[in-house]
Amino acid sequence: MNAPTSDAAAKTARDFTYIKAQRRRLTEYEALTVHMQPDQGAFDHARGRFEEPEWYLLRSDGKPLWDPASTALRHPDWYAYRDPAQQWQRTYVRHQEQQETSIDRVTEDAALDGCLAELDAGWIGQMLSRHYRAWSFFEYAIFRALAPAQREALSDTLGNVLCFQSFDHLRHAQDVIIYLVELEHHSEAVDDGAGKEAWMNAPAYQPARKFAEEIMATNDWAELMVGLNLVVGPLLQHMAVSDLVRRNALSNNDPVAAHIAMTAERDRRRNLAAAQALVQMVTATSVPEAEANRAVIQGWLDDWTQRALAAGDALAPVFAAPPQPAIDYPTSRAAAHRATRQLIDELGLASRLGASR
Amino acid sequence: MKGEDFVKAHDRVKDFDWKASYAEDPDRYPMAYKIPAKTSDPFRHLVRDYCSMERDKDDRQYGAMSDVMARAKMPAKASERWTEVLKMVLPVTTYAEYAAMKCTGQLVDAVDNAELRQGYLAQMIDEVRHVNQEAHLARYLAKHAPDPEGFTQGFRLRSTNFITRASRAAFDGFFAGNPIEGALNLQVVAETAYTNPIFVTLTEVAAANGDQATPTTFLSVQSDEARHMANGYATLAAIASVPDNLPLLQRDFNTAFWRQHTFLDPFVGAVYDYFQEARGGSYLEAWSEWVADDWAGSYIRKLEPFGINLPSGWAAAHDRIKWVGHTAMMLFAASWPMQFLRLDPLTAKDFDWFEKKYPGWYGHYGKFWETYAQMADPAEGQLPLSLFESLPPLCRVCQMPCVFPRPDISTMRIKTHAGRKHAFCSDGCEYAFSIEPHRYASNHTWDSHFDGYELGDWLENCGLLRADGKTLVAQPHLDRARMWTIDDIRAQKFEIRDPLKDLPAQGAVAVLA
Repeated sequence: MNAPTSDAAAKTARDFTYIKAQRRRLTEYEALTVHMQPDQGAFDHARGRFEEPEWYLLRSDGKPLWDPASTALRHPDWYAYRDPAQQWQRTYVRHQEQQETSIDRVTEDAALDGCLAELDAGWIGQMLSRHYRAWSFFEYAIFRALAPAQREALSDTLGNVLCFQSFDHLRHAQDVIIYLVELEHHSEAVDDGAGKEAWMNAPAYQPARKFAEEIMATNDWAELMVGLNLVVGPLLQHMAVSDLVRRNALSNNDPVAAHIAMTAERDRRRNLAAAQALVQMVTATSVPEAEANRAVIQGWLDDWTQRALAAGDALAPVFAAPPQPAIDYPTSRAAAHRATRQLIDELGLASRLGASR
Repeated sequence: MKGEDFVKAHDRVKDFDWKASYAEDPDRYPMAYKIPAKTSDPFRHLVRDYCSMERDKDDRQYGAMSDVMARAKMPAKASERWTEVLKMVLPVTTYAEYAAMKCTGQLVDAVDNAELRQGYLAQMIDEVRHVNQEAHLARYLAKHAPDPEGFTQGFRLRSTNFITRASRAAFDGFFAGNPIEGALNLQVVAETAYTNPIFVTLTEVAAANGDQATPTTFLSVQSDEARHMANGYATLAAIASVPDNLPLLQRDFNTAFWRQHTFLDPFVGAVYDYFQEARGGSYLEAWSEWVADDWAGSYIRKLEPFGINLPSGWAAAHDRIKWVGHTAMMLFAASWPMQFLRLDPLTAKDFDWFEKKYPGWYGHYGKFWETYAQMADPAEGQLPLSLFESLPPLCRVCQMPCVFPRPDISTMRIKTHAGRKHAFCSDGCEYAFSIEPHRYASNHTWDSHFDGYELGDWLENCGLLRADGKTLVAQPHLDRARMWTIDDIRAQKFEIRDPLKDLPAQGAVAVLA
C-alpha cells in the first residue's frame, strides 16, 4: 500500500506520545517500560461513570492487585520514577553478560598463567571458602527479598529496577560458587562446605544471617530499596566485600576474586543511584507527603544502620584471617561509616553514624 | 566451564536456602498448598550461561529489525489487513508478559526450593524481556507501518476498550491469587497450551502476509518458553506429589483453564482467522494440533497417574472452539468505531475459505459480513451495531460478551448476588465466581462504565480521533478516501447502553438470536 494520503494521517505522531518523557525526547528505556503496569488510579482509569480504581480480579484476601499500602511512603505518581541507569532488559542483560564474560576471561587467564595454583592455601581456605562463600548466602537472601518486592512495587519503572537488582545479587552469589569450583582444579584448600557452616554457626556471621532473614521478611519494597542501597551497600557490603574480599584479594595475589567483587561494586553503584532517585522523588518539595516520607525514610535508615552495624562489627575477627591482610577492621569500619554518612547527608537526612561519632 | 564443573556448580546453587532461625517467614501469599522441598529444575540455570544465551538472541532480533528490515521498508510492504490487527494484539500480549513477571516474583517467594527459585528468576527476567520485545515491536510498527494510529496508543486504551479489558481479566489471573493458582494460569495453561499457537503458528500467518518483524520478535520470545513450560511442569509435579494438594489443585486448574480459554480462544481465533489476506491454516486446525493433541492429549494426560485430570471445562471448550472466534469477531466488527484499528471487510475468497474450514459458517455469520461490507462507506450512513436490537451484557468474570459459543446457542445466565446483578457467559465463569465472589466486587463492566454515553462523546472522551480531531482512528475498511469522521458517527445518534439493566434478575436469556 502507498503511504497515507489524508491530512489526518500525515500529521500523526509516530511514537508513544502518552508517556511523559523525563527529558526532551522519549528514551528507548521509557518507551519500553513506562505504563506497562496498569495504573487504575490515573493512566488506566476508564474515565467512565465510576471514579474509584477498578480491579477485574482482586486478591483472595480482597486487596487490589497493587496495594498503596505495600509501602509506607506516599507519592501522587509512582510512574514518574525513572531509573537513572535507564536499563531495560536488553541493556541490562548485555551489561551483565559483559561482566560475566570478563570474569570468565580473568579466571581462565589466571588459571593458565599459574596464578590460581600459586594462591595461598590460607587465602583459599579462610577467605574464599569460608568468608566469601558464607557471604554468598547473604547475597542470595537479597535476591529472594527483591523478587516479591518487584511484584509489589507500585509502578513498572520501580518494579523493573528491583527485578534487575534481584538478579544482580544472585549473579554475585553464583559467581562465588563458580570460582570455587574452578579453584578445586588448582588447590586442595577449597572447602565448599565451610561457607555454609560458617554462615549457619560461626559467631562472626550470625548478626549478618539474622539481618539476612529480617531482610527476607521485609514486606515494604521501598524500605528494601532504601535500606539495601543506602545502608547495606555502603556500610556492610563495603566491609564484607569491598574491603574483606576485593582489597585483600589484591594483597593476596588473587585477581579473580578482586574482579568478581568489582563487578558487584559496579552493580552497587547503579542500585545506589536508583535508591537516591527514589528518595529525591518522594522528598521533593512539590510532593505533599514529602515531610512524612522523610520521617519514614529516616526511621528506616536508623533501623537499618543499627542492624548493619551489628553485622559489620561481628565481622571484625575476619579482618585478621587473610595471610596478607590489606586493611584492618577499624580502618574499614571508619571508611564504611564515612561513606554511608556522606551519602545520607547528601540526601538531606541524618545518619546515626554522624550522631554517634 | 567444563561439563562436570557445571553440574557441580549447579548442585551447589541448589543448596542456597537455609532454615531461618532469627526471623519468621512473612507468609506473603498464604495458600493451602503444601510445597515439598524436593523437586528439580531440568534446565539447570546459571546466570552466566543465561546472560550469554539471551544476549545472543537479543542481538539477532533487534539487529535484524533495526538493520535490514527497516532499510528494506519491510513493515510497509506487509499486508495491511494483517498489520492492522497487531495494534490490538501487542498491547494484549505485552500485558500478559508483564503479569507473568509478577507471577514469577510470587513463585520465588513461595516455592521453598532454591533450584526452582533460580529457574523462576530466569523466567522473571525473560518476562521483562518479552514485555520489552513486544512493546518494541509496537513502537517499531508505529514508526514504520503505513498507518501508525493505534500503534501509538494501544497501551493507553487498555481500560476503555472492551476487548483489552477482557484480556486484563484473564491475565490478572497470573498473579492475583496465590502463587500456585498463578502458576497454573500462566505456566500450565497459558504458556504450555497457548504460546505455541500464538508465538509459533501465528507467526506463520504473519510471514505468509509479508510481516517479518512479528515472527522475528515472537519466535525469539518463544525460544524462552520451553524453559517456562519446564518450570510449570516442575511446579505442578512438586505440588501433585503431595496427595493432600490434589483436590485444591484440580479446582484451581479447572478455573485457570476456563479463565484463559474464555479470553484466549475467542481472541486468538478472531486474530488468526479474520486478518489473513494470503490464506493458510485456520485457528481450529492450530488449536486441534497444539491445544487438543499436544497439551490436553499428551501433556495433561501424562499427569493422570499423578491424580491430575483434564480440566472440568475441557469438553465444553472443545465444543465451543468451532464458533467462539467467529462470534467474537462479529461483535468486534459490529462495534468497529470503538476499536483502534482498521478492519478490512471480507471478500468472496474469504467466504469460501471460512465455509471450507468451518462448514456451516456462512449460515451463521455470512449475512452479517455481507451487510458489514455494505455499511463500510460513511455515505451509507449506517453502523453495523444498529443491526442488533440489543447487545449482550458482559460477563462479570471474564468480561467477554455473554454470547458464546454462538448467539443462537448462547449459555448466558443472569444471577443476583449480594444485591448486585451479574451476567455470566458460561458454567465455568459462574463457578469461578461462586468460589470467591468477593474477588469480583470491585469490577464494573465496560457497559456499566459507559452506559448512557453518546457514541461520539465516548470516542472523544477516549481519544479515539486522529490528529485532525475529526477522523476516527478505527475504520471499517482500509480505504483512506472514505474515512469515517466524528460527524458521521454523531449523525447516527447511537447511545451506549448497559444491556444488563434491562434483563431479568435471574435466568437464561437469549440475545442477538
